[in-house]
Amino acid sequence: MFNHPSELIPRLDELGYVVDQELATVLYLMLKLEKPLLLEGNPGVGKTEAAYILASLLKTDLIRLQCYEGLDVHSAVYEWNYQKQLLAIKIQEQSDLSAAQKEDLIFSDDYLLKRPLLQAITSDRPKVLLIDEIDRADEEFEAFLLELLSAFQISIPEMGTIKATSKPFVILTSNRTRELSDALKRRCLYFWVPYPSMEKELKIIHKHLPEIETQLAREMVGIIHRIRALKLDKSPGIAETIDWAKGILALGITKLDKEGFEQSLSCILKSTNDVELVKGQIDRVLG
Amino acid sequence: MHYTDHSSFTAAFLGFAQLCRARKLNVGIHENQEAMLAAVQGLWGDFELFRYGLKSIFCTSSDEGVAFDKLYDKYWSEKMGSIKGKTTFKNQSNLIKDSKGSLVMVGIGNEEDDNEETDARNTAGANTKETLRKTDFAKVEQIDSQLLEDLAEQLWRQMSLRLKRKYKKGQKGNIHIQSTIRRNISNGGTMLNLIRKDKKQQKYKLIILLDVSGSMDKYSFYLLKFIHTLRANFDHVEAFVFSTRLIQITEFLNRKNLRESLALLSYHAHNWSSGTKIGECLKTFNDQFAKRLLNGKTLTIVLSDGLDTGEPEDLKRELDKIKLRTKKLVWLNPLKGMTGYQPIQRGMKTALPVLHHFGAAHNIESLLALENILSDA
Repeated sequence: MFNHPSELIPRLDELGYVVDQELATVLYLMLKLEKPLLLEGNPGVGKTEAAYILASLLKTDLIRLQCYEGLDVHSAVYEWNYQKQLLAIKIQEQSDLSAAQKEDLIFSDDYLLKRPLLQAITSDRPKVLLIDEIDRADEEFEAFLLELLSAFQISIPEMGTIKATSKPFVILTSNRTRELSDALKRRCLYFWVPYPSMEKELKIIHKHLPEIETQLAREMVGIIHRIRALKLDKSPGIAETIDWAKGILALGITKLDKEGFEQSLSCILKSTNDVELVKGQIDRVLG
Repeated sequence: MHYTDHSSFTAAFLGFAQLCRARKLNVGIHENQEAMLAAVQGLWGDFELFRYGLKSIFCTSSDEGVAFDKLYDKYWSEKMGSIKGKTTFKNQSNLIKDSKGSLVMVGIGNEEDDNEETDARNTAGANTKETLRKTDFAKVEQIDSQLLEDLAEQLWRQMSLRLKRKYKKGQKGNIHIQSTIRRNISNGGTMLNLIRKDKKQQKYKLIILLDVSGSMDKYSFYLLKFIHTLRANFDHVEAFVFSTRLIQITEFLNRKNLRESLALLSYHAHNWSSGTKIGECLKTFNDQFAKRLLNGKTLTIVLSDGLDTGEPEDLKRELDKIKLRTKKLVWLNPLKGMTGYQPIQRGMKTALPVLHHFGAAHNIESLLALENILSDA
């Protein structure tokens, strides 16, 4: 494994993910201290991507749990296969097993449907577990996660406590639509993913689209940074920049004048208010 | 970093951890242990790497990250500076001599000079927050206003989130025996599919009437911000502003950004900072909106200082009408926060017997108290 944060940077770079020293250090610590990592930041700055890249760096699988309002233990951790249990009871009606034995049987591993969190801790080798957009889940679920994140175990009333056979590398992401509980934060390393600097964003574009002209890419990045300064409803993230670059290549635009810009605007702006606002200040945005 | 042996590094590090704790960062024994682990994982030798590592362990938000960076630079540059003999320590009792004879700073957080005071303000520890919660909106100094706005937004958002959760539709309820049997007849009576009862959804609605007359000028911005936060987190909020006329402002508050909302408001609402005719405005409300908006699940909140130039009888009559239609009628008055305030103005005096609750609205805390009133409803 890695012995210094700086070893991570070229390896991640090979995989197409541009990291600075700070994120590399945090990822390194996450691997070394075996602690979950909480990534917060605006939408589209590459939080989820970090988990995917980490999985391919470690050559392991990624298990993803997408959070939403109302997410409960049954869809996140486990559920009993109710229909199968019923069938088993029917089949065993004629058998000589005692009631207790029958009960043990239907509450055994075979009848357990493993959902992402349980899958992640019961696999043979460590997996990367991505708990995406945790801020969307309810507080009850957040509280439930505490046991998993600190002790790496899950309690199932009918079976007892299941301890992790391998500790997963956990990445949580949040768009900060609400404040997460202190208890959860304390169990994680924390990193705020900022919008990238111009240099870094330029690198990212080249990484994804090597064929793009440097001058054009530079202009694009400049425009994106000026747009971000405008305080829009939905500021374009890195994902939008890449989409935009792809769009520009597809449209065969070679120069970003007013016409070319307006033509490709739909790649970066996703609300009518924002489009109006940017169009109103188009000269400033184009520099 | 210059430390070649463990003990002096540990002591210096603990000094830093203590400083962070003094500045309200979340640093406990657990965090210290992890930071030490991080240090031995090879981060120790590099000033920046160690910063990044510590930051990820000590901080839980980007704001804290900014505060941390300042502390880190200040502390460690002073520590290195002390080697060159530049540092002067005001509080000698904070210096401990360790076994190797090198000086170790333990409680640098206690020494305060002018610069540091402004720093402390920026880092906004719990004490500052506590004071700000109780600061009267009318007495906010320029320097505090941004902090106050941030804190208000944070606290009110949490409050409306809690309320929203309380009113939100719960999870599905118990098993509904009859429908389960009916549904499973096709399976020969084997209960393969369970049908659950729906919990009944309580749809509460907030109606807020904000006084924006001249006498309320100092408060109306903050109260509007309060309404804006509620609106952002609560599905059913209808808001009105009134002075001599009543204007519905709900749609202007739909903007995520308060400044945009304000810009729209100032464009559409011309009744800002004029006189007050509460009774007349409430009559407009009753005539035009009450039938549609008010029912047994509505909570009506009037935010006004009660300094009325209209007829008190009008006010009482209209309030009575509202009370009949709404579940709860609450009046929050910024003046109530003043010591010695008595509701003796004509308007307020006649209104008082009609209300379910009469509270203050002059600082963050008094508005937070609304949570209890609303959750009782």
